[in-house]
Amino acid sequence: MNASKVEGTYFQRASRWKLIVILLLVALFVTVIVSLNIGYAQIPFANILATLGKQIPFLNGYIDSSLVLPRESAIILQIRLPRIIAGVVVGAALAASGVVYQGVFKNPMADSYILGVSAGAATGASFSLLFGSGTAIFGLRLVQVAAFLGALFAMFLVYNISRVGSRVPVTTLLLCGIAVNFFLYAVVALLEVIAGDELHAIVFWLIGGFSNVLWSDIWAVLPFVVVGITVVYFYARDLNLLALGEETAQHLGVNVERVKQILLVFASMVTAAAVSLSGLVGFVGLMVPHITRLVIGPDHRILFPASTIVGAIFLVVCDAIARVIATPFASTLELPVGIITMLAGAPFFIILFRKKKQSYAL
Amino acid sequence: MVVLNVDGIECRYGSVKVLENVSFSVKEGDFVGILGPNGSGKTTLLKSISRTLKPYRGTILLNEADIYSLKSVDVARQLAVVPQDSSIGFNFAALDVVLMGRNPHLSRFQMESSKDLAIAKKAMLLTNTWQFAERPINELSGGERQRVIIARALAQEPKILLLDEPLTHLDIINQLEIMDLVKSLCVNEKLIVLAVFHDLNLAARYCTSAIMLKKGKIFAAGSLDEVLTSENIKSVFDVDAIVKRHLVTNSLFVIPLSPQKASPSRKCAIHLICGAGTGTALMKVLLDEGYSVTAGVLNVLDTDFETAQFLKIPVVSEAPFSPITEKAHKDNLAMIEKASTVVVTSVPFGFGNLQNLEAALAALEQGIPTFVIDEVPIESRDFTKGKAKALLAELKNKGAVFVKGQNELLSLLNVSAEKLKVAREEKARFLAHLKPEIHGEGEKSKEGKNA
Repeated sequence: MNASKVEGTYFQRASRWKLIVILLLVALFVTVIVSLNIGYAQIPFANILATLGKQIPFLNGYIDSSLVLPRESAIILQIRLPRIIAGVVVGAALAASGVVYQGVFKNPMADSYILGVSAGAATGASFSLLFGSGTAIFGLRLVQVAAFLGALFAMFLVYNISRVGSRVPVTTLLLCGIAVNFFLYAVVALLEVIAGDELHAIVFWLIGGFSNVLWSDIWAVLPFVVVGITVVYFYARDLNLLALGEETAQHLGVNVERVKQILLVFASMVTAAAVSLSGLVGFVGLMVPHITRLVIGPDHRILFPASTIVGAIFLVVCDAIARVIATPFASTLELPVGIITMLAGAPFFIILFRKKKQSYAL
Repeated sequence: MVVLNVDGIECRYGSVKVLENVSFSVKEGDFVGILGPNGSGKTTLLKSISRTLKPYRGTILLNEADIYSLKSVDVARQLAVVPQDSSIGFNFAALDVVLMGRNPHLSRFQMESSKDLAIAKKAMLLTNTWQFAERPINELSGGERQRVIIARALAQEPKILLLDEPLTHLDIINQLEIMDLVKSLCVNEKLIVLAVFHDLNLAARYCTSAIMLKKGKIFAAGSLDEVLTSENIKSVFDVDAIVKRHLVTNSLFVIPLSPQKASPSRKCAIHLICGAGTGTALMKVLLDEGYSVTAGVLNVLDTDFETAQFLKIPVVSEAPFSPITEKAHKDNLAMIEKASTVVVTSVPFGFGNLQNLEAALAALEQGIPTFVIDEVPIESRDFTKGKAKALLAELKNKGAVFVKGQNELLSLLNVSAEKLKVAREEKARFLAHLKPEIHGEGEKSKEGKNA
C-alpha cells in the first residue's frame, strides 16, 4: 500500500469536505431556481431571476425587472417560492434528524419518526382538524401548532417512559417509541372513523404536502430547524464515536448520556417543526442519510451537513414532480409530496443498495 | 507518577453483588493480570475502573482524584480500554477508527492535525495494521479488527491501559506480538497495564503481578510467585494444576490437569516401577480409574518423582542421581508386598536402577501379577550390557504379562479388576459360610493378593 497516499488523502479531508458542501449548496440553488420554473404558468428564467434579485437588498438597484409581469412576480414570490423554501426546510430537517437517529440508535431502520414524533404530530393535527378548524394562534394555523405540540409531547412521553435512572438505553427507547406510535395511531384511526367531512383533510395531512404553505408558516418553524441543526452539528464527531458503541464512546471521552439526550431532544424538535409545516412526509429521514452514506462514507462530520442539503434537494425535486405529474390529467390536481417521496425513493434506494450491498454490511 | 488506587469497591448489578471489598493500588510500570474463573468479577472490575459501572461503595482514585468526579475527556486522555467485543456500527475505514482514539485530545471543532495522523500511523505500525489503513473495518478479520482496536487505544496515548481478554481472536504469533508490544510499552513508557486473562500461561509470561478473584472478592494478590500457585489455582478454579518455572522463558507456566473423574474406587494398589517421566501419565490415569498407586524406587528430582509428589502418591525414593541403596530396595520390596499388581514401564535401565527389575522379579515370585509395558525395545534402553535384557526375559519366563502400551494395560487391568471382584466376593461368601465369626478385620489387606 502506498503509505504516503493514505496520509495525503487524510490531509486533504477538510478541504474535500468543504468542496462537497459548496457543490451541494450550488446544486440546491440550481434545483430551487429550476423548480421555480416548473408549474402551470410558464414563466421565463430571466423573469424568475429578476424577481428574486429584486428581493435582495443593495443588489436590487442594479436589476431591471420591468419585463416581469406583476402576476408572474406574485406567482413566484407568494405561491412557488414559499412552497419550495418549505421543501428545503422540511427536507433538510427530516434528513438531518434521520442521520442523528441512525447514528444514536446504530440502527439502519431508524428514521426521523422513530420516537413517536410522527404519531404525536398526527394526533395533534387530527384533533385540531376535527375540532378546531379555522382558528389560529398568534397568526399561525391551529393545525401547525397542534402538530408541533403533539410531536414534542409524544417524544417526551417516550423519553421518560424509557428512562432507567439517569440512563436512557437505546433498546428501551426503540421499543417505547414503537409502543407509543401504535397507541397514538390507534387514536388517529379512531378520529378518522368519526371524522366525516374532515376525513379528507386528515388523510392529506397524514401523507404530507405543501399546498397552501404561507410565509408565516415557514417563519414560525425556521428558528427551531436552524437552531436544532446547528446544535446537532456541534456533536458530529460524537456521533462517529457513538457508532463504536456507547461504552467505547465513553472510553474515548464522550459524555454519552448527556450527548445522547441533547442529540435526541434537538433532533426531535427539528422533526416536530418540520412535520408541523408539511404533515408526515415519509421516507426522507430514512433514505437520504442512507444514500448519502453510501456515496460519501460514514463520517458524520461530512455526512451530517451533506445529508441535510441532499434532503433539501430531494424534497424540492419531489415536490416539483408532485406539482406537475398530474397536470396532463387534471390541470389543477396536485399530488401530496409524500406520495412522490415514497414512490420515487423506494426503488432508487433498492437499486443503490443492491449495487453497493457488498460494502455496506451493518 | 501515575497511581491508580482502588479502595474498597463494591459493585452490583441490580441487587446482586458482583464485587465486594476490592482494594488494590497500582503504579506506573505495573503489568497486572486479573485472573479468575467465569463470573468471578474480572470484567466488572475493569468496567468500574473504566467508568462504565459506578461502584455501589468505595472509590477509585486516579492520581488522588475520584475518577467518577472527573470529566469523560479528562479520564480518556489517561485511560484507554480494549474491550472484549469490538463490533462497529458503521463501516469506517480502519484508520478512521484509530483516529477516533485522538478524540479526547481534540477540541470540539478541531480536525485531526498531522501530528494526530502521525500518532495514529505509529500506533498502526506497532500493531501491524497500517497495511489495511483504508480498508473498511467490518471487512477485516476478527484478529485484524482486534489489532485495530488496540491501535486505537494506543492512539489515545494513555497512561493506563485496560485490556479485557485482548487476545481472544488472535492467533499465536499475533498474541505474542501484541503482548510483547504491550509489555514493552509498560516497561519503556511506564504504562500501567491491567489485563483480564483466561490463559494463565500468558498472564504468567507477561504480568509482573496478579490479582486472583473468586466470587467477587480478591482471593490472592501480589507477585506472580505468590498468586500463581497450584494451591490457589485449586481453590479458585477447582482444577489441579502443575506450576513450574519454564527453562526457556524463565516465567511460570501452568499445566492444568483434567478434573478428577468420579470413578468407582477399585481399592486395589498398583505399584509402578518407572522413572524419567515414563510413569507420569500412567499415575494420573490409574488414579482417575480409582486405583491406589505407589511407585519406587525413584530418584528425587526425577520427573516421575515430582509427579508422584504432586499427586500425593507414596514413593520409595533415593537421593538424586544416586544408585539404589540396599535400604531403598528393601523399602521398595516392602511396598510391593502390599500391592496387588506391579507395572514396569519402558524406563531405561542403568546400573543405578537395575535393582528395580530385581524387585519386579521378586514380586512375580511372590505371586503378584506383574505387567511389563514393552513400548520401547529393551535393546535401545538397556545401559547395563545386557543385564536388564536378561532380567526382562526372566520376567517373561516367570509369567509377567507383556503389553504394547498404556491402553492395552488399562484394558487388561480392568478385566483383572473384574476377576478380582468376583474372586473376592466368592471368597467372602465361602468364608461366611464356613466360619461366620472370622469374617472381619485382617481379611481385607490380604484379599487383593489372592486374586
